[in-house]
Amino acid sequence: MEAITYVGERLWAGHLGNAFVVLSFVAALTATVFYYLSTKNKAFYKVARLSFLTHALSVFGIAGTLFFMLFNHYFEYQYVWQHSNKEMDMKYILSCFWEGQEGSFLLWTFWNVVLGQFLKKRMNEEWEAPVMAVFSLVQVFLASMIMGIYIGDYKIGSNPFLLLREHPDFNHLPFVQSIIQNANYLAKLDGRGLNPLLMNYWMTIHPPTLFLGFSATLLPFAFAIAALWNKKYTDWQNMALPYTFFGILVLGIGILMGGAWAYEALSFGGFWAWDPVENSSLVPWLVLVAAGHTMLINKNKGGSVFTTHLLAIGGFLLVLYSTFLTRSGILGNASVHAFTDLGMQGQLVIYVLTFVFITVALLIRDELIKTSYIIGSLLLLFFAVLFSFKRYALFVWIPASVLLTIYSYTRYFPKEKKEEELYSREFWLFLGSLVLLLSGLIITYFTSIPVSNKLFGMNQAPLKVAEYNVWMVPFAIIMLKLMAGAQYLKYRHSDVKVFFRKIKWSSIAAVVLGLVCSIPLYFLRDFQEADGGLQKWNLISYTLLLISGFFAVFCNGDYWLNVLKGKVMKSGASIAHIGFALIMIGALVSTSKKVTLSKNTSDKKVESLGKDYDGQKSILLTQGDTLPMGPYLVSFREKIREGINVYFKVEYYKLNAAQKPELDFTLVPRVQDNPRMGKAPEPDTRHYLDRDIYTHVTYAVLNTMPSDKEKNNKNAYTEPKNYVGHVGDTIFASNSFVIIDSIRTNLTQEQYAKNDSLLIVTAVLRCVDAQSRMYKVYPQYVIKNNIVIPKDAVEETLGLKFAFWKINPEEGTLEITMSEHIRNAKDFIVMEAYVFPYINVLWLGCLVMAIGTVIAIMERLRVNRLRLQKTIG
Amino acid sequence: MKKLHIVGIIIIAVAIGVIFSSLKNTTTYANFSEAMANPDKEYHVVGKLNKEMPQIYEPTVNPDEFRFTMLDNNGLSKNVVLHKSKPQDFDKSEQLVLIGKMNGETFHASDILMKCPSKYNDGKPQLN
Repeated sequence: MEAITYVGERLWAGHLGNAFVVLSFVAALTATVFYYLSTKNKAFYKVARLSFLTHALSVFGIAGTLFFMLFNHYFEYQYVWQHSNKEMDMKYILSCFWEGQEGSFLLWTFWNVVLGQFLKKRMNEEWEAPVMAVFSLVQVFLASMIMGIYIGDYKIGSNPFLLLREHPDFNHLPFVQSIIQNANYLAKLDGRGLNPLLMNYWMTIHPPTLFLGFSATLLPFAFAIAALWNKKYTDWQNMALPYTFFGILVLGIGILMGGAWAYEALSFGGFWAWDPVENSSLVPWLVLVAAGHTMLINKNKGGSVFTTHLLAIGGFLLVLYSTFLTRSGILGNASVHAFTDLGMQGQLVIYVLTFVFITVALLIRDELIKTSYIIGSLLLLFFAVLFSFKRYALFVWIPASVLLTIYSYTRYFPKEKKEEELYSREFWLFLGSLVLLLSGLIITYFTSIPVSNKLFGMNQAPLKVAEYNVWMVPFAIIMLKLMAGAQYLKYRHSDVKVFFRKIKWSSIAAVVLGLVCSIPLYFLRDFQEADGGLQKWNLISYTLLLISGFFAVFCNGDYWLNVLKGKVMKSGASIAHIGFALIMIGALVSTSKKVTLSKNTSDKKVESLGKDYDGQKSILLTQGDTLPMGPYLVSFREKIREGINVYFKVEYYKLNAAQKPELDFTLVPRVQDNPRMGKAPEPDTRHYLDRDIYTHVTYAVLNTMPSDKEKNNKNAYTEPKNYVGHVGDTIFASNSFVIIDSIRTNLTQEQYAKNDSLLIVTAVLRCVDAQSRMYKVYPQYVIKNNIVIPKDAVEETLGLKFAFWKINPEEGTLEITMSEHIRNAKDFIVMEAYVFPYINVLWLGCLVMAIGTVIAIMERLRVNRLRLQKTIG
Repeated sequence: MKKLHIVGIIIIAVAIGVIFSSLKNTTTYANFSEAMANPDKEYHVVGKLNKEMPQIYEPTVNPDEFRFTMLDNNGLSKNVVLHKSKPQDFDKSEQLVLIGKMNGETFHASDILMKCPSKYNDGKPQLN
């Protein structure tokens, strides 16, 4: 085949982008090496810093080039073609940038660079070298994720600067094959565009926040690794503390934004679904919170040194692990929003394991053991790849690494000589951190079910939302109790009597208010109706959670006002804790008391199967009809199509004083007829201060209704539907119900036996319309000379056509088909509607927690600055 | 460090408890014949829509009941009652995961996950 010279391709952009990609990788590698050398010789600092700056600039270069290409519609490039198009609103250009996997890795790399540049100027040289070496090594790995080079058959990374016609995943597609026959293909090419489901402001703000949070976990990790490296285990916590709480803040906001997005715009029917993708950002947050709290112990009293290292390192490793979970395709059926498998599974595993390896190798101080661990690991890796027994190699390597970690802990880490007192703040802070860690590990264990299925050849299904809730409620109860009580204890030693006197009134108030709320919520009806011990236990645990939530609010409020005398700047922790408690209370009440308004009136129940199968979630609304639904009367008014969005106007009425329905509010849920994602429903919610009314359409016919011309066609009937039944049965038509009243024959059985010429069986059908008017129809089953000739019967007013075509003497049933005139076709929707009570408590809690954390960080930075001035002055 | 040792033991006990109870209790993936052998147990059954058999969804009668026939991965075909509204785009689905239990010859599903063809939507399954 003759090579075609393509017209108009702007190949320079790809070359420029790739140059930056290679430069960023090489510079990160150089920075790693030279920062490593700087730990031994200060002369190397200059090169190291310059390399990191070069790396940073090339990352900006990559991002800038990609932006330029997206902005100017360079559709010859696969990434631009796949994620943007010409019609698109430019305000979504950021969303296009990080819609794809390559772009989201780039976002992560970008934040790391920003944080690295910020951090590197705020450390002395002793810490700069190892901390920045860790940063650079992470950047080496991240930069390789967008390289897209091949080593043999093995692809490393996925490159955003490939031409569409050269991209290995796309160039064999028939569409691509056909367009590239034309040398001038680019003139007509338009991109596929951003997924319409993602065209909202959430997609603009949620990913950058979440990725900044992920990046922030690198800060305590880098410090902890540097500490192992410097063998100075207690000097770094004070430096890392504000950064850790910065990570807690940003990652927390990112996670909650995801929840708010799911609640506002997706049809999960809630704000948290324990989806693997959600879990794998929650777990690093939990571990980071634990790390932040053990750092407080380190700072104020000393001790818990090993735990702090474990948690600070663990937080980042869990971010890596979650990257592996969500981007390797291993979750398969278990998640609704995992990324596609880009063939990076092996690569991601290697990255996670590398950082585990570095941690363990640095933990060991005995040179002989360290060398044998390093050589052993490398040999194991080599042989595992060579003879492909990777799985078994992992089974050997992971326990060995864990054992060596425990060994190093007992040998080298400074330990407290005196046991912590029971009534000391550090004991309970430490316990709280362990509880946080344990809850995180349990969530990880459940989320990793697809991984353990693969490793151990099992076939466990992922957990359901309710099962996660049962597991996590006890942890929430313990955490709330700890965050309420621990602050009243002093470090080292506290007077027990004083402690109990201080929390007395808060406890009494919490128990009273908790019971006052939970008795009507859970015990007046729910407890009696609960079937089985588990449901009863759930209700008891909800009560305990509610009491603990109030306890945490009261104690922290009391501590803020009475102990800290209401000083805002000192009260960051108390305010953040109040926020967390409000989140828990709001989540508990809005989830456990979520009310299904849209119970349908059908009486088919499958009670023997259990509650999940009762099928009482949806309501059918026919256009124009008004139906009672909970305290409302609802009516589906009209369907409006705008582009790919179909809006359904649903009116909610209430009876006024005169018992007349009066319009209360209108909700407009929509279904997006999305060419790329299929039909995606988007809910609409009416917000009140104390509750939300949430509505989404689960089933609707999106096509337009028949035209007037079709409606006037006398013979336009729908496909007949068959009904098998007895005399007395009812058939439901769209405008009436039809009762099989009786059957008449022209001959008795004996006559028919003698005379086989003509048998006429007439079914008498009684049709009753909505106004209770009755119409009779007589379809006939005719046998003439042993041939069945069914005779149709039409009821013109109702537009119903029947054919009586079969009798089953053995079963005693008859079969009738019914078709309806198309003018009967009325538009309808199947809809679900829920009430989420007190969900605003949850959102208020988010806000309060964020404010509290910001205050705590500011105060911490101020104190650190003051101390620095003192040491200088 | 005696108190912390006790705490450590409690934590290890909880962790072991979680692992064992989850191994015992969580539902597993299965095919129709396994689900028939244990009619009281909930399973996840993976399969494909049997396109030769009719689908019945009559929202006027019950908007929360949808009947169809699925072929499991062993090719065994069973009637399914989904106790939910019919998912949009059901007919385009490439793979189905049913969550439910067998009752006689019929599989009753409380929930369904669908995967749609990856060529058109980057392999992202539908949100439903």
